[in-house]
This record gives sequence, structure tokens and C-alpha cells, in this order.
Amino acid sequence: MTQTKHIEMRNVRKAFRFFTLEDLSLDLEPGQIMGFVGPNGAGKSTTIRLMTGLLAPDAGEVRVLGHAMPEGQALAKRDIGFVSDDMRLFNHATLAWHMQFVASIYSGWDPGYAKTLVKRFNLRPEQNVSGLSSGEHVKAVLLLALARRPRLLILDEPTSGLDPVARHELLTEFMDVLRDEDRSILFSSHNTVDVERISDRITFIDRGRLVDSSDKEDFLESWRRIQLHVPSGTTLPDLPHIISRVEDGQFVTITTNRFSDDLVSFLGNGVRQVHRMSLEEIFVANVMHHREMRGQ
Amino acid sequence: MNMLTRKLIAKDFYLNRWLITGSTAAGLAGLAVAAEGEMRFNIGMIIWLTTIVAFGVVLATFAIANERKERALQFVLSLPLSHGDYVRIKVIGLLLCFLVPWALLSAGAVALVAVMPRMPDGMLPIVVLLCGFMLANYSVVLCGALHTSSEGLMTLVIIVTNMSITLFIFLILGLPALREQLHAPAPLWNSTFWTVLSVEIATLAVTLSLPYFVAARRRDFI
Repeated sequence: MTQTKHIEMRNVRKAFRFFTLEDLSLDLEPGQIMGFVGPNGAGKSTTIRLMTGLLAPDAGEVRVLGHAMPEGQALAKRDIGFVSDDMRLFNHATLAWHMQFVASIYSGWDPGYAKTLVKRFNLRPEQNVSGLSSGEHVKAVLLLALARRPRLLILDEPTSGLDPVARHELLTEFMDVLRDEDRSILFSSHNTVDVERISDRITFIDRGRLVDSSDKEDFLESWRRIQLHVPSGTTLPDLPHIISRVEDGQFVTITTNRFSDDLVSFLGNGVRQVHRMSLEEIFVANVMHHREMRGQ
Repeated sequence: MNMLTRKLIAKDFYLNRWLITGSTAAGLAGLAVAAEGEMRFNIGMIIWLTTIVAFGVVLATFAIANERKERALQFVLSLPLSHGDYVRIKVIGLLLCFLVPWALLSAGAVALVAVMPRMPDGMLPIVVLLCGFMLANYSVVLCGALHTSSEGLMTLVIIVTNMSITLFIFLILGLPALREQLHAPAPLWNSTFWTVLSVEIATLAVTLSLPYFVAARRRDFI
């Protein structure tokens, strides 16, 4: 029997006065960590708000944990842990009060795990939320989401504003969550280093449109920068799957998204260097290529 | 009432506990001043009236508008509830938060007029109508806070509702059927009284049900 997809979006459209999310389709399978990457204003938060039922699509379908959104949000949210970088707790209550409050709502609340997280994140439950630093605040919100052991974690820029040590702690925690194969995470960020570290699937979004979506390893294996020596008087043949081409005298640097040994053999002795690309380089090249294709 | 509704209503009581306690204490202090004699009656009643009105405005603003402004609304909406549930819980919860001090202070004012020997009992219908008006007035503020995220509009609602109290006092004291009974030794619950009370109850019913038909049906909540 096939398992229900944790997130299914089909041809989703959401229009605002100055921004439109257009024809967005994506899937998140149980057990996956999806890095949802895009520049500022790309539509990441809008997409996440559609997933969590805060916004309703103008067209298309959004299903989360098998529930149609936003109609089924009350049921879906029993198993969703949602954390956004601009989510705040109640200033006039302590973290302990928040923990007790969330524990009383979710039957899956794990007090032992909550205690461990309090210790690991170096939080003080008796402290008023108004006295927490911004980093501590993010950790507190994450603690409340993680300790209820949700099947799906939706994290909207959770590590923005955190120092490197705190980011490391959180990313390690996310990896722990995935020890259970039925749980999944959608992790939005413009920090590709964090995304590369924990995600097994990556989706790029830009200006309201999905640019590309694939397994992280596929991205890393199929994208390359190749530096070629092209002697004067010779021309480089037309090559398929070339994303960009930069000429510098007798040297040409091409970027491909379909790298293979056959391509290197085809290019022959002219190949000087084959450079493996980081996720950030892939992201930038991918986005720029799609903007060019769309004439933007 | 399900468990989540109860928890969220309890949450509103907890977060507003000092406001509820402080307002009740201030209102009771006003009644205590009013009980000291005819001269201080007016001062005490102004404290009592101002306390209830200000409490309603601060409660609705703090528990709805500030929750939205300080971005705690996202946390509440991450809990397993729909937009409709949120609106329903806010209406019930904040109405109950207001009703506790309002009922106590209204009962105190009625008892004060009934017990004070120099205060004619003919004032009782006016006091009851004033209490009813303050409840209806709060429901308008609550309804406004649930429908608008604009600070400007909310300020306008607060100004209009505050001004309406003075206008209401002028209005009911301008009605001969009520004014002429003011100094009577016994209260007269005449048809004018019941008409004004019916308008207050109707205002209450409309403003408390409007959020279910408008705010609760919004498809985009943030």
C-alpha cells in the first residue's frame, strides 16, 4: 500500500496585488527533508501559509497529511509542527506555562524529550518570554513544536537570525526527528549551507514560480562548471543542457545541469578543469537561467 | 465545549488575569467612593463607568489586536483549530473575560443605588440601562477588533464607542418617561425602559454574531 504524501500541491495559484504565486506543484513524501530555497520575496512564506491553512489558494489543490487545505486544517494541524521566524509566543507568560499549555492540547507531547530540549537549548522554563533573546525565542518555539512529536514539521526560515552554534544545534535536532521514517520536514531558507547539510530533496522557487525540484544528490551530481581552452580560430560546437557560458579570451567556462563523463569525452582535450558546484552556486545559476528563459 | 476551546478560553483568562483583577478592584473602589455620600456619588460613578469602558477597550485591543501585532497569532493558529474555531473561541473567551468584572460591578452599582438611603430607587432603570449599554458597547469594540487589522480603523471604533457613552447618557436622560422617574421612590420598569433594553440586547446579538458570518469565513487569515 502506498503511504499518503505528507504534502501535495497541484497547480496552486495565489494572487496578491503585487505578487502572484503561479502554477506551483510539489510533493513531500514521508521520511523526507525538503529544503525549500528561494531568494527574498520568492514566495516561500506564501507557499508555507498555503500549506498550513493560513491562506487559501485561488486555484489548484493543497493537501497536507491527506487533508484538503484550508478546510481540513484543524485535523491536519494535529500532526503538524509549524515554526516560522516571525512567530512569537505570549510575552506575559513563562516558557513553562507555554510548555504546559501545548502539552495539554497535544496527546503526543513527550515531557522527557521536552526536558532534554530545554537542557540542550540552554533555556530556563521559569523565565518570562519577554526576557528571551531572539535566538532563545526561536529555540523556545522550536521546542514547543518538536516535543509534540509531529509527523510533519514545517519550518519557515527557522535558523535566520541565529548564531552558527545555535544553528548547528537546531540542525542536529532536525536530523534526530528524522530517525522515525514516518516523519518529514519542509525547511524553507535562503541559507543554502543549512539546506545542503540536512535536506535530501531540494526545491528552488523564484518570483512566485517553481524553478526546479530534485533529490539533493541529483543536483550535486548533475551540475558542473567546466573550463575549456578554445584556441583562436576554433569554435565551440552547440551543446545541449548548457545553462551559462562565459568567455574570457581563449578560455570558456560553461555550466551544465546534465553532467556526464560522455560530455567530458565529447569536449575532448580542451577541458582544463571540471568544477563541482555547491548548492548555492547551483541555486544561483538555476535561478538566473530561469529568469533569462522567462525574459525577466 | 471541546477541550481545545476550554484551553484557549482559559489561556485568555490567564493572560488577562491582572487586567481583570485590576479593573475589578478599580471599579469596586469607584463604588466605595460613591457609597460615601451624595457629594462623592458622582465622582465614584465616573470612576466606575470609566473603569468598565477602559477595561473593555484594553481587553479587546490587547487580546486581539496586540496578539496579531506582536505575531503571537501565528502561534495560536499553528494549533489544531480552523479560522472559524479561532473567531468563535475569541468571542466566547473575551466575552466571558469581560462578563466577570462587568457582572460584579453592575451588581455592585445596582446594590449601591438600592441600599443607599439618599439615592432614590427610581434611578435603578437608568443604572440597569447604563450597565446594558456598556456591555453592548464592549461587544461593538470586540466585533471591530475581530474584523479589522487596521490600527486606524480600530482607533476610530474606540473613539466612536467612547463618545457614544456620553451621547447615550444624554439620550436616556432626554427621554421623559425615564427622566421623570429618576427621583421616584420606587423603580418604574415602563415600556421605554424595555424598548431601550431591547435595542441594547439586539446590538449585543448582532455584534456578537457578525464575526461568525464575516470574520470566521475569511479564507485568508494572515
